[in-house]
This record gives sequence, C-alpha cells and structure tokens, in this order.
Amino acid sequence: MKENDNFSKVILSVRDLNIKFTLRGQVLHAVRNVSLDVYKGESIAVVGESGSGKSVLTKSFMGLLDGNGFISSGEILYNGKDLAKFKTEKEWQGIRGSEIAMIMQDPMTSLNPLKTIGEQIAEAVRLHQPDIKGREAVRNKVYSYLQDVGIRDPERRYKQYPHEFSGGMRQRVVIAIALACSPEILICDEPTTALDVTIQAQIMGLLKELKAKYDLTIIFITHDLGVVANIADRVAVMYAGDFVEIGTAEDVFYDPRHPYTWALLSSLPQLGQKGEELFTIKGTPPSLYKTIEGDAFAPRNPKALKIDFLMAPPCFEISATHKAKTWLLDPRAPKLEPPEGIRNLRNLEVLG
Amino acid sequence: MAKYLVKRVGRSLLTLALIICIVFILMRQMPIEGYFQNFDKLTDAQIQAGLKEQGLLDPLPVQLVHFFQNMFQGDFGVSHSYRVNVPVTEILKDKLPVSIRLGCLSILVAMCLGIPLGTLMARYKGRFFDKFGTLFIVFIQAVPAAVYFLFIQMYGTTLLNIPLLFNPNNWRSWVLPVISMSLGNIAYYGMWLRRYMVDESNKDYVSLAKAKGASGGRIMFRHIFRNAFVPMVQYLPSSFLNTVIGSIYVESLYSIPGMGGLLVTVIKDNDNNMVQAIVLLYATVGVIGLLLGDIMMTVLDPRISLGRKEGGR
Repeated sequence: MKENDNFSKVILSVRDLNIKFTLRGQVLHAVRNVSLDVYKGESIAVVGESGSGKSVLTKSFMGLLDGNGFISSGEILYNGKDLAKFKTEKEWQGIRGSEIAMIMQDPMTSLNPLKTIGEQIAEAVRLHQPDIKGREAVRNKVYSYLQDVGIRDPERRYKQYPHEFSGGMRQRVVIAIALACSPEILICDEPTTALDVTIQAQIMGLLKELKAKYDLTIIFITHDLGVVANIADRVAVMYAGDFVEIGTAEDVFYDPRHPYTWALLSSLPQLGQKGEELFTIKGTPPSLYKTIEGDAFAPRNPKALKIDFLMAPPCFEISATHKAKTWLLDPRAPKLEPPEGIRNLRNLEVLG
Repeated sequence: MAKYLVKRVGRSLLTLALIICIVFILMRQMPIEGYFQNFDKLTDAQIQAGLKEQGLLDPLPVQLVHFFQNMFQGDFGVSHSYRVNVPVTEILKDKLPVSIRLGCLSILVAMCLGIPLGTLMARYKGRFFDKFGTLFIVFIQAVPAAVYFLFIQMYGTTLLNIPLLFNPNNWRSWVLPVISMSLGNIAYYGMWLRRYMVDESNKDYVSLAKAKGASGGRIMFRHIFRNAFVPMVQYLPSSFLNTVIGSIYVESLYSIPGMGGLLVTVIKDNDNNMVQAIVLLYATVGVIGLLLGDIMMTVLDPRISLGRKEGGR
C-alpha cells in the first residue's frame, strides 16, 4: 500500500465548493461545501449512492454541468487557475481533454454511431496533440492507443463502427479516446457500471496499467466499493452532496469511522452470509431541496446520537490521511463499535 | 451491396407491377361512359361494338397482358375526354417536364433554406432565432397555403414587377411559383431537422465529444448535424413526390401547364386511360423515391447492414 506522502503535489484542489441546480423554480443544493485535494499520480475513488452528487462534482471540473446547474461559491484550483470562475466555452476548451479527460458510464451510447472508432480517436489526437502532423502519423498514433487499450488487430478495427464492438470493447475505445487527449487527470464516471462483472475486472486492470504507463491521476466515481478496492489509493465517501469520510483505501476499508461508511461496507455482497439477506441501508437520502440540519445521514442511522439531528458534525482528523465528519469522533461521544461484519474485512483481503 | 441493390430494385419492380394490376382491375369496374364521347346518343349495339373494338370485352387477364405489352412499347392508349383521341403519352410529355422542373427547383430552394433554418434553430435553441423560426413554421403550417400563395402572387407581381403568368422561357416568372411551392417544405425540413438535432445533442456521445474538448461548432456540424441528417434523408424523396403532385393550386394560380390537378380532372371525367397512366406515373415516382431514400440511408448509416437486414427478421 502506497503512502500518501508519495503524492506530495496537489494537482487539483477543491475549496468549499457549492453547486446548485434550479429546477422548476426550486433550488437543489447538489454539492454542499465540498473540499478535496487530489494529488498528482494518485487514484482516488469518490464513492456514494445515486444522487449523492459525485457525478455533479466531477462534471464541474470540466464545465460539463447541465444548463440549469451552477457553482454558487467555492474554488476549483487547477494549475494556478480557478476553474470555478470559468465562464466561456473557450476557456473550458483549454481544460477539457488536454488537462482533464473523462470516461463515461455507458459505452453503448457514448460513441458516435456514425463515425468509425478510428476517426473518433483521431479527432482527439488532432485536437490535443498538434505536434503529430499528417494523416499517416495520426493514424499510427491511433493504432498505438488501440493496442494500449488491448484491442488487437488495430488496422482492421480502426475502420469499424461502434456497433461492431461489444460493450467492453467500446469502453476500451472510450478509454483510448481519453488517452488520445493526453490528459493530466482522468475522470472515470462509473466506468464499469454498464458492463458485466468479468469485463469489469478487465477494465479496472487496464485502467491500472494505463495509469502507470501514462502517468495519470485518476478520479473514480462509483457506487460500488468493491470495484475500487484494489485500484484506489484513497477513497472519499460522499453522502447528500458532502464528503463524510476520506482516507487511504486502508483507512476506509479497515478502519471506517462514519456510520454511513459502515453501512456502505456492510452492504458489500462479499460480506453476505449464505441463507441471509444482504444488508441494505434503510430509508432514502434526504431531499437536497431543503436545508439539511445536523448530520445528513442521521435519519437513516438507527444508532444516531441526539446531536446528529441538531448540529452538523465538524471534520475530525483521525490521522494525517484519514478524516471523517461524525460526532462519534468527538471525545464526549459514546464509544460505538463498527458492525460485526466489516470488522474482519482485513481478513477477507478485499484490497487484494 | 450490389446484391442488395439488385434485390431491392427487383422488389420495387414487383411492387410496381402489383400496383399496375390492382389499378387496372379497379379501372375495369368503372362505368363505361368514359370510353365514348357521346355515350347518351349511342344504341346498345353501338356501345358493344365500340367496347369490342377497344378490346374491353376480352377476359380481364387478356386485357392485362395487352396492357403490359402496350406499356412496354410506351403506349398507354388515347385520352377519351381530356383531349379526345390524343395519345396519353403525348399529353403527359408536355406536362410532366414542367411539373418536374418546378418540383426540383422548389425542393432545391427548400433544402437550401430549410436545412440552415433547422440547424440554426437547434444551435440557438430557446434563443431569438429559434423562436423566430418556430413562428415561421407555425405560420406556414397553420395558415392555409392558399392564403399566403395569394399574398405572394399579389405582392410579388406588383412590388417586384414579376409577370403574373407563367412563361417557361422567362426565368423571372418561375420565381414566385417556386417560392410558393417551397415554403411548406422549408418549414417541414426546418421543423424536423431541428427536432432531430435537439434529440442528438442530448445523447451521450455529444457529451463525450464535449469532454474531448471539441468546440461547439465542431460538435454541431461534425457530430450532431451529420447524425440528425440521416433520418431526414428518408423524407426527401417523398416530399419531392408531394411537391410534384400537390402543386394544383400554385399551377392554376400562375396558369402553369403542369400535372397539378390533372389526376382529379381525369377521374371526374372517367377518362380511364389517363387515370391509369397518371397513377402508374405517380406510383413509379413514389416507389423510386422510397428506394432512393433507403439507399441513401444505407450509404449514410453504417448501422444499417444491407446483407443482414435481408436475412434477419
């Protein structure tokens, strides 16, 4: 397991970011006061259930928020620039692809059905690697990317259309497009959700390989802790638009502190006992249209403290790398042990 | 590809043959008045003799074979009432080119204006140009064509000093009819192209292109327009057909000696040979139009696989 000080250089720094959406006259507060440092060369996983704001957060790094979404306050510092201040598409085009690239969830729809996959990768090469000139050079570069993502026979595949590829193969093409942009940061928005389990492992393995080869910083977004267990250096758990716990993978998997992290880990299918129902988190996330009082997870937490309903917990530092927002970490709080099942995660060697 | 084409053309020909047979058989059920100029004054014997002379008393299959034989020699019989005893082909030979030329011109104008209209409306969705375009489309679709045709004629002829009556040798007299006929199609193309482009622009691959760092204009034209145009292609041939057939009012407004209204007239007069020939003509244009639409689709859209489409389903 790598230590955090290997990544001493912060490449992307989010400070007190708030993102809101206006929907039918109402304001939805999707991302609430989020701060996050992403270190160069690390892979960090943002984990949370649907609607927790994890996609919105990363989309804001690329100016890809939907038309009704906006950054109401906060900073996104990248390379000395504050991306939160960007207004025009022109400014964003300097970031998109060349600095931050993205892999989307559903490879079945994220490729243009009427262009050959070669053309689509070549477009990225031409846009972001102007030093590669001439048709032949671009084409050869595309071949090399295709090979890198594990697509055999690139000369033939270059001329094929997306519908001639399987889901896993298409996701490889999408990854090749992202690589062809030669980005610093790669955002993977649930890259394996739409794929079947055997392909999931292949794609995660591929991303791990490519990260080393191309010296990438990767931000994973996922709702499945199991998927990121053996690729993420750090894990940030998001709930209702805010990080509740953040730490190295080891911190979060083997020493989780927030009740929500406990609940998430307990619902890992790997922990299920034969004959027993899998653990599920009761209730639904709070409405983001309303102001959230206290700990956002309290209403779904059977062991919530009284204070959880009254005041939002501050961020407690457990170690240099590990932080969590829960009153349980306050010295005055009762000592609560994490649930039985997740205490032996270490023995299950989920981190591989 | 070639195999598919042959199959597809063969199937079109079969369709045409079927249409001819059905129309032919139906036409034989029509009253026989149309075959004579002075039906009321003829005796039964004379009528029978006349029918026999025209081969109309033969069994239906025999008549059908005769019809096909004549058709391949370019003979569709003579007109009985529209222009008495003039061969049908003679009549159509004068009229058809005028209508086709008008139709082609108006489609061309409609494409040149309607496609940019739809593209710009989609590009500036919700903004001024979109609203302006919507206003135009709603106007064209809601107001009966006859109303704005009249206004175009009225103001066109007085303000622009364009001759009122059509004269094939004076290009200026083509302007107003062509504009009138293209307006409907401009609105139609604009509306559908906008709709398809808006549909496409909400697809994932567009966000990916955006995330790739492609500029707005590049995404609009390289990705969205191209993909939205594919379903449009199917409409083009049929709208051409509609323009050629449906120009009755414009042709009569400007006294254009075209096909418009001809079918209605000859049906009313029971001029069966004319009806037969015109229906055949329109059916041919329609079938060719569909064929062209399909072929263009397959050329533009790689997902439509020719060989497999035949076998599958």
